[in-house]
Amino acid sequence: MRFGFFLGEAFGSMRRNWVMAMAAVITVFISTAILGGVLVTRDNLSQGATSLKNRVMIEVFIKDEAKPEAVQALEKKIQAMPEVKTYTYISKDEALARFREKFGERIVANLPVNPLPASFEIQAKDANTVDKIAQQFFTDPTVDNDPGTHNGVKYARETVRKMLGTIGLVEKGMWVTTGIFAAAAVLLISTTVRLSIFARRREVEIMRLVGATNWFIRWPFVLEGFITGLVGAVLAAAFIYGGNWAIANWITSSDINFIDLKVYPIWWRAGTWPAGMLPTLAVIGALLGALGSLVALRRYLKI
Amino acid sequence: MIVFEDVTKTYDPGTVGLKDFTCHIGKGEFVFLVGPSGSGKSTLIKLVLKELVPDKGRILVAGRNLTTLRRSKVPLLRRNIGCVFQDFKLLPNKTVHDNVAYALEVVGEPRRSIRRKVPEILSLVGLAEKMNNYPHEISGGEQQRVSVARAFVNHPPLLLADEPTGNIDPDTAVGIMQLLVRIQRTGTTVLVATHDRDMVNRMRRRVLQLENGCLVRDERRGSYDQVAEEVAE
Repeated sequence: MRFGFFLGEAFGSMRRNWVMAMAAVITVFISTAILGGVLVTRDNLSQGATSLKNRVMIEVFIKDEAKPEAVQALEKKIQAMPEVKTYTYISKDEALARFREKFGERIVANLPVNPLPASFEIQAKDANTVDKIAQQFFTDPTVDNDPGTHNGVKYARETVRKMLGTIGLVEKGMWVTTGIFAAAAVLLISTTVRLSIFARRREVEIMRLVGATNWFIRWPFVLEGFITGLVGAVLAAAFIYGGNWAIANWITSSDINFIDLKVYPIWWRAGTWPAGMLPTLAVIGALLGALGSLVALRRYLKI
Repeated sequence: MIVFEDVTKTYDPGTVGLKDFTCHIGKGEFVFLVGPSGSGKSTLIKLVLKELVPDKGRILVAGRNLTTLRRSKVPLLRRNIGCVFQDFKLLPNKTVHDNVAYALEVVGEPRRSIRRKVPEILSLVGLAEKMNNYPHEISGGEQQRVSVARAFVNHPPLLLADEPTGNIDPDTAVGIMQLLVRIQRTGTTVLVATHDRDMVNRMRRRVLQLENGCLVRDERRGSYDQVAEEVAE
């Protein structure tokens, strides 16, 4: 294959039809930028959600009269649970110290005895298993449950449930949006390429008459589509990178960050994208451009 | 070189392009194809290029049977046929040199021989000085010479010309015809579809006359009109 010749043809035609080439680049830029924006938002949200989920904690209070062996048995039980990520033992003294820190010396000084129970603070590996972990302490004799209830186990049950529901909904919505914008991008690109090829159908006709094979005619167009797609997508990737960085900075430096939302400013090699999202986006853009050219050419290459 | 056997081509609403057409054109011949518009001249040329497929009959071109020729082989057929058209069909955004070179690029000619052959053929048609001009910068006659150069640069065994002088003034047209004759002398078969009465009468070559898709006359050293009253057009 005469790659040099084809590349020269592609660049030559882009230079001559630079208005059309610009239009195509801008189309790819806008649609990939929207697509990428949706993807970045989705990833940011789901990572934020994960960090929120990870901060859900189960507190298991221990009866004051429980024997040390019983407490050790309880600790063994927690250790044995596969769903548990970490746990800490908070003794009665530690609990009091925390209380003092929070509410001040004066209240603590007036207490005749230490009323605070010792406890285990447990973090689950996955927020979805919080319920399951908590239930295992409901009937434990060492746990400070009042008869008939399980008030010795505290966790934000409703909060967890609502949070999981919302996150799931938002993720679904994001996937739908992603799908719609991806389809829109494909349509926009193929329409643009078709327009530019329609403008040059005479050229294609002459090529055929001179005896050019279909692939000889196709290659310059496909390369042109590839380059157009690549340029547009790289611009979009840079735009998204900059935008994400700016927003991340703004959030961390403002009051909005009330739930200690983590921001993920670097997308080069992060998230669920094997090679990083931005390179993936660029490659997708380039392939879309090439594919658009192929599809648009089909009409003019019938012998 | 070209054999038509009982070829019929009808267009969609029953319009006749060519009807039961049989003829034989030998290697190295120079043949004029004459007849009024719509008589089937262009249909015949398109059939030879396999731009159209006949409804009936058999066409042989340079030993290839076009009816059984696979679609993927059509480009190879076309590389053996030089084409010249009334509207020149030059690529507007390529220079004269690149237009001619394109025909060589297509067949995979090495860069070195392209650099040699293109100036050679352009000086043969007298356009060596306009090599780096674009088609819109040169006259119609010059554009047609570029088109002839492109058609002949591969030295194809067959050259088709569809109204090659249709858009050119008579004096320039003579130059183009002389060029075609020179090409024929190298052994190339030349088939020219034309309306140019003076030219045909002056050159006295073989004439095939078409009327409503039928061959009505095949004459060696013929003139444009057989009968005087047909002159009225």
